[in-house]
Amino acid sequence: MLVNLQGPWSPLLGRLAVSQIPYENPILVGTFVLVVALGMAILGAVTYYGKWGYLWREWLTTVDHKKIGIMYILVGLVMLLRGFVDAAMIRSQQAMAVGPDSAGYLGALHGYLTPFHFGQIYTAHGVIMILFAATPILVGIMNIIVPLQVGARDMAYPYLNAVGLWLTTAGAALVMTALFIGDFAHAGWFGNLPLNELPYSPGVGVDYWIWAFQLSSVGTTLGGINLIATIVKMRAPGMTWMRLPMFTWASLSANIISLTSFPVLTVSLALLSLDRYLGTHFYTAGMGGNLMLYNDLFWIWGHPEVYFVILPAFGMLSEIIPVFSEKTLFGYTGMVLASFGIAGVSWGVWLHHFFTMGSAPDVNAFYSVSTMLVGIPTGVKVFNWLFTMYRGRLRFELPMIWACAALFFLLVGGMTGMMNAFTTNDYMVHNSVFVVAHFHLMLLLIVYAIFGAVNFWFPKVFGFKLNERWGKWFFWLFTAGTATVFIPMFTLGFMGMTRRLDYIPYAQWQPLLDAEMAGIVLYSLSAVYLVAQLYVSLRDRALNRVGADAWGTSRSLEWATPSPVPFYNFAYIPHVNARDEWAWRKENGIAQLRHDRYEGIHMPKNTGVPLVLGALSLVLAFALVWRMWWLAALCLAGIVILVIMRSFAKDTDYIVSPEEVKRVEDALWAGTHARGTEAEGGRGRGAVGGGLSPAHSPSAPK
Amino acid sequence: MMKKIWGGGWRFLALLSTVLLGGCSSRDFWLFDAKGVISQTQVHYMVIDVVVMLVIIIPTALLIMWAMWRYRKSAGATYAPHWSHSNAIEAIVWGVPILTVAVLSYYSVEAIYQVNPYKPTVLARAEAAPAPRPLEIDVIATDWRWVFIYPAQHIMSVGRLVIPVDTPVKFRLTSTSVTNDFYIPQLVGMIDVMPGMRVKQALMASHVGTYEGFSADYSGAGFSWMNFQTDAVPSAQFQQWTKQAQQAPQHMDYAQFDLFAKPDISVSGKPEYFSDVEPGIFDHVVGEVMNGKVWPTPMGMTENMVKYLQKQRASQAQMQGEL
Ligand code: HEM
Ligand SMILES: [Cu+2]
Repeated sequence: MLVNLQGPWSPLLGRLAVSQIPYENPILVGTFVLVVALGMAILGAVTYYGKWGYLWREWLTTVDHKKIGIMYILVGLVMLLRGFVDAAMIRSQQAMAVGPDSAGYLGALHGYLTPFHFGQIYTAHGVIMILFAATPILVGIMNIIVPLQVGARDMAYPYLNAVGLWLTTAGAALVMTALFIGDFAHAGWFGNLPLNELPYSPGVGVDYWIWAFQLSSVGTTLGGINLIATIVKMRAPGMTWMRLPMFTWASLSANIISLTSFPVLTVSLALLSLDRYLGTHFYTAGMGGNLMLYNDLFWIWGHPEVYFVILPAFGMLSEIIPVFSEKTLFGYTGMVLASFGIAGVSWGVWLHHFFTMGSAPDVNAFYSVSTMLVGIPTGVKVFNWLFTMYRGRLRFELPMIWACAALFFLLVGGMTGMMNAFTTNDYMVHNSVFVVAHFHLMLLLIVYAIFGAVNFWFPKVFGFKLNERWGKWFFWLFTAGTATVFIPMFTLGFMGMTRRLDYIPYAQWQPLLDAEMAGIVLYSLSAVYLVAQLYVSLRDRALNRVGADAWGTSRSLEWATPSPVPFYNFAYIPHVNARDEWAWRKENGIAQLRHDRYEGIHMPKNTGVPLVLGALSLVLAFALVWRMWWLAALCLAGIVILVIMRSFAKDTDYIVSPEEVKRVEDALWAGTHARGTEAEGGRGRGAVGGGLSPAHSPSAPK
Repeated sequence: MMKKIWGGGWRFLALLSTVLLGGCSSRDFWLFDAKGVISQTQVHYMVIDVVVMLVIIIPTALLIMWAMWRYRKSAGATYAPHWSHSNAIEAIVWGVPILTVAVLSYYSVEAIYQVNPYKPTVLARAEAAPAPRPLEIDVIATDWRWVFIYPAQHIMSVGRLVIPVDTPVKFRLTSTSVTNDFYIPQLVGMIDVMPGMRVKQALMASHVGTYEGFSADYSGAGFSWMNFQTDAVPSAQFQQWTKQAQQAPQHMDYAQFDLFAKPDISVSGKPEYFSDVEPGIFDHVVGEVMNGKVWPTPMGMTENMVKYLQKQRASQAQMQGEL
């Protein structure tokens, strides 16, 4: 061993020992029982209904971008639930542990969580929500929608797409493992250095944190490469740059920042692992190390990362608002410029996360101004959405109410962001719950955009709409929860409360902490309505079937193909004539045209390799966490061999026969005809769109 | 003068929210209830910042609400499905944010120099004055206590900071182990306290009073108990306090400090005083840490706090016995 490890190590099991399983902690044991019971129930159900083959063929080995997207979203939802439970524990601990007289349980002096346990929970909360909930859900939606919007049959690299999914899933699984074997990092989602170094975090927690980050980082980088390649190279004929739908532009800008910034994260964490595994001194306080280096490297990724998650959300708003305003998006060119403006500025502002580190005033001044610059393109976006609504005909259906609420979050979040960017304000509020409230409002904006987008595109993917009544209940309860948690949180920030306190010394904060707890109750209640919405929608799906154009006023290309989308997306690669292609076709009366003849379609074959790669990566990470060198070497060798073997595989694609295409199309369009009129109102009566072969399509307007 | 008006405005706003929130008094809003020159300057600029932004954001919010209402489908208002461009509006849409950001940037940069922790220009006059001379204090954050060394007075105070009012106070800060944030909301903003490094901070209390200070940056298990009381007292009282502390029976040199700095959670929060403090402990600590000295955290130290406290008490009793 090159470093001084506290505790035993053996060649076979590394640091792993029975004592590492937290069996005395009733909370964890309870959770474990619950998870096992749930897992057994699911596995049992799959076996009982004989669905293993279906699961393997249709999901686990798929390379279909829509199914991969759905699985990304499912992983994200599971992790969202876990992250929410963490949040509820943080809030309840803080509400219970106020003042020196508050009671303590389970070994804690106040509340029911010991400091170390509390630290792990909020670290897990942050890591999970950003890397394993928000990111996968957004990547999932981009995965589903972008190829449809550019008129492609799949992503540029379908196999790579599946690899990205399974690596991200492995990362999520690793975080879950930390719950039951060993412990997790306690030093905050961004890792406080040198607290993360071996002398101050002697357990395996930080190692779990490092490898979970690394897995998701590699997964997201691969996803970024794929989406960029898809947008640049796979656009249908006629889909010129300035005809790209806004969500695709947003995805492009987001993935350019992810591709350029995630590698920095990989390096910054790799250096930390060298410190922890080999005893180097990159970030230690002594021996020539410098912890400030870590702050720089981490936030050079960290800030672009927050824009990586918000840009797609902005893209969603830009899709939803025009459709429900029955109007063209205002200022398209400005919106594109603004997206890239935000992406561009995001590289040059990272220091605002540590204004308080004592940099020279000139340096702080530079980053204060550069940070404020972000406000310009962001402001432009708000105004453009406003002018999109101006002189429209607004319909407040589910996607639209989520989108409209998101606009207000952007106003408050943006204003508080600008307050943080004002350096001397930041001296007062940095590390306070005011900053926590700021970024939660921003992240909630994303959540609202996601709920809007899910309601918006759900019928495209599944062929029926989500229930409106339960959905509205969910919206209002969720919004009430948001207000009840975050208005008190801002107030507490002004009262001086800092973040990450597991014990609250000041009694005057109690009432507001209780209010936040009430908000958590509202959030939990709202989740019931979400489940009810999904259940009712599924039950009544026959009543809510839609045609290709689910909303009647949809505008972009994805609405030109049937709902649910056939596995090959478009029977013919469409020829694009205008910016809002589907709206253009409806106006020009060619939306109903259909083909009478089909050609064979070239598609990628399913493969189990990505799943195996994900599983091997999970075991590799686990072995590295526990320092079982033999197992790590074995997994690494397995991964390398598998990747090499796969790169020689020739039989990776096939041709769908014209008859098969015809069969699928006929079935889909027959269904659409039967229900088309109702879903689309008088306007797109019996609208059938679908890909027009180049031969049939009129030439683009001059 | 301006500052007075702004301050009054804030107190009114804070009061208003008190009525709305019930239960919290306006004095609990530490960020607005500034009692030092630095914090007052910060509040002054925060008000400018917020007002400038509200001038833009409130009308925008109202406009959005108006558009949502006016152009709802059932209202049957003017409908222009293809209207999507207007040079005049584009100019406004870009112009307004650019202008706002320009104004805010100007104030932000100005403020940064005024409260620069190394050389705050708002304190320049007070520092240059012949009397009172600035007081120097060395701050060392250990795991998990705050140590305040008064080099000129040769005293060391743990967990309690006493300063004379209307006198500039200049801090040098470092840490023995991990990063903390030194923060007294009503007097001065945060500054990171990092091991192996020396940062500076400056403040001047303008009102006599007791203010809460704490660490704002998570530093491990004892973090939540790292709060310290700051007493800003008239200078005569400060002299008296120094004299008293100089009588403290316990002394301090680096060898003792080495033992003192071992991880310890100060649950009781009781202040401790040491006299005859060896000069140069601060620089010694910085030097040692730069050479790789660590005070490691034992594994599983706080997994059961109740047991931990029992152990802590036992070992303290033992130490007392040995003395
Ligand atoms: C107008 C735009 C924005 C500005 C000017 C802004 C400014 C800032 C500043 C200065 C900080 C550092 C505060 C501190 O730690 O003292 C910060 C923190 C943060 N912001 Fe923003 N922000 C903006 C938008 C966003 C967006 C869109 C997101 C994400 C979706 C976001 C997420 C975050 C997060 C996660 C943190 C804190 C990270 C942490 O310390 O844990 N912000 N923001
Ligand atoms: Cu940032």
